[in-house]
Amino acid sequence: MASGYILSRGALTFGSHCQRVCRNVSLSQVREKKRWMKAYTYLMARKLKLEGPPPPKPRSLQPLWDYHAEVQAFSTRLHENFSQELLKTAFVNPCYVQAEQERRRPLLDVNSETIALVLNDNVQLSAKGACFAQSFLADWCRASFPSLPSEGVESIVGHLTSSEVVCYLARNLGIEELTMSAEFPVPDDVLYSTFMAVVGALQESSGAERAGFFLRDFVVTQLIGKDLFDMWKVVNPMGLLVEELTKRNVSLPEPRLIRSAGASTVLPLYFVGLYSDKKLLAQGPGETLVAAEEEAARVALRKLYGYNENRRPLDFSPQPQQHEQPLIQSVNSN
Amino acid sequence: MTSRGTPSRFLRSVLQNGVGRYVCQLKRISIIFSKKAQSSLGIRDFIEEGVVDYAKKNPGTVVYVSPQSCRIPKIVAEYLNGNVREELVTNKTAPQISELLTKLTDQSGLDIIRIRKPFHTDNPSIQGQWHPFTNRPPTIGPIRPQKQDAP
Repeated sequence: MASGYILSRGALTFGSHCQRVCRNVSLSQVREKKRWMKAYTYLMARKLKLEGPPPPKPRSLQPLWDYHAEVQAFSTRLHENFSQELLKTAFVNPCYVQAEQERRRPLLDVNSETIALVLNDNVQLSAKGACFAQSFLADWCRASFPSLPSEGVESIVGHLTSSEVVCYLARNLGIEELTMSAEFPVPDDVLYSTFMAVVGALQESSGAERAGFFLRDFVVTQLIGKDLFDMWKVVNPMGLLVEELTKRNVSLPEPRLIRSAGASTVLPLYFVGLYSDKKLLAQGPGETLVAAEEEAARVALRKLYGYNENRRPLDFSPQPQQHEQPLIQSVNSN
Repeated sequence: MTSRGTPSRFLRSVLQNGVGRYVCQLKRISIIFSKKAQSSLGIRDFIEEGVVDYAKKNPGTVVYVSPQSCRIPKIVAEYLNGNVREELVTNKTAPQISELLTKLTDQSGLDIIRIRKPFHTDNPSIQGQWHPFTNRPPTIGPIRPQKQDAP
């Protein structure tokens, strides 16, 4: 009994000793052998899985950021002469001013003079820019598509000044990073007003003509490859075509089936031609007769409005440089 | 992997760049190097010689030069469409780095992946899209399988 006790005790002590030795060996820190790395990596991966990725950080809070240089580079990059103060004002949104004032309120009691916020927001610039953009784009549409009715012009302008297009532009022109907003990522409406404020600032600093060129080069180019009836939802194109033709004193269109193929298959194809005074106005394809007729009416409308697919490309030729004229004059005077 | 499996895109530019006016797409470049390390010898040379010229030549690009204690010097290029490219410049000489900077400046910032077609048009063809009735006089009638005269 006693011997058994001793034995078991001996085994116990031996075991514990062995364990201690092992633990000493396993935990001893060897140089350049990062044994903690595995556990740490697992922990971090687990944390990432539980909490999700960290919230995005605005570029202005990341290292290497100089706001003044960025704003200056922004204006030179676009080849525009912005007045720097106006441009900086254009980036300050009212929500940012409000948030900043909230943040500074507890500090205000200490010394109100140094911490008081002196910032103008971009409300006026934005309203001015939006107004100018609307009028300029409408004028441009009327000049480029003279026969387009006012509803069509409205819908094109509405598409170009829609929040979707403008925000896409602002994100690809680097306006988003410079925008001072209370929230991050910048909400769409704030981005929209900032873009319009930039347009307003350009109009104030270099005149309406340069602002017009800016809009033409960046906003109107979004029309390339866009179909008229994607922007202008016409429910009944045939009715509109009849109206247009009666306005122009042309006899009403007569739809005729001109070609068809595979009528008894799952993929039938019909071509409907619209004749007016025995002359072919337009033809359009469709899977059913009704759809083909509607498509033909749309094609005829596009031809009437000068927006057909194979029209001449829009004119985006670069405007004459401002610096050239005085140069030439000085050469002449010499 | 066959080329079909690799990511691809069509030829395009950011915001129809160059249709109205050309906008340099590189908005920011940060040069991160070490003051002491051997591997950033070339980039230190470049900073002494060429970086001011580069910044003067490209006023639309903000250049940040930041000495840090790092073994691998790198150039971080940020583009207008939000893409960020990091280029490692370990053991590169000053002319090589200047060449790399020129390349980064000229790029559009879109992903560098296989381009499906080397051409692109925004104006569809004048004739219109091809369909079975293209160039077919309307008198012929519906399309049928062609009669096979040969035995």
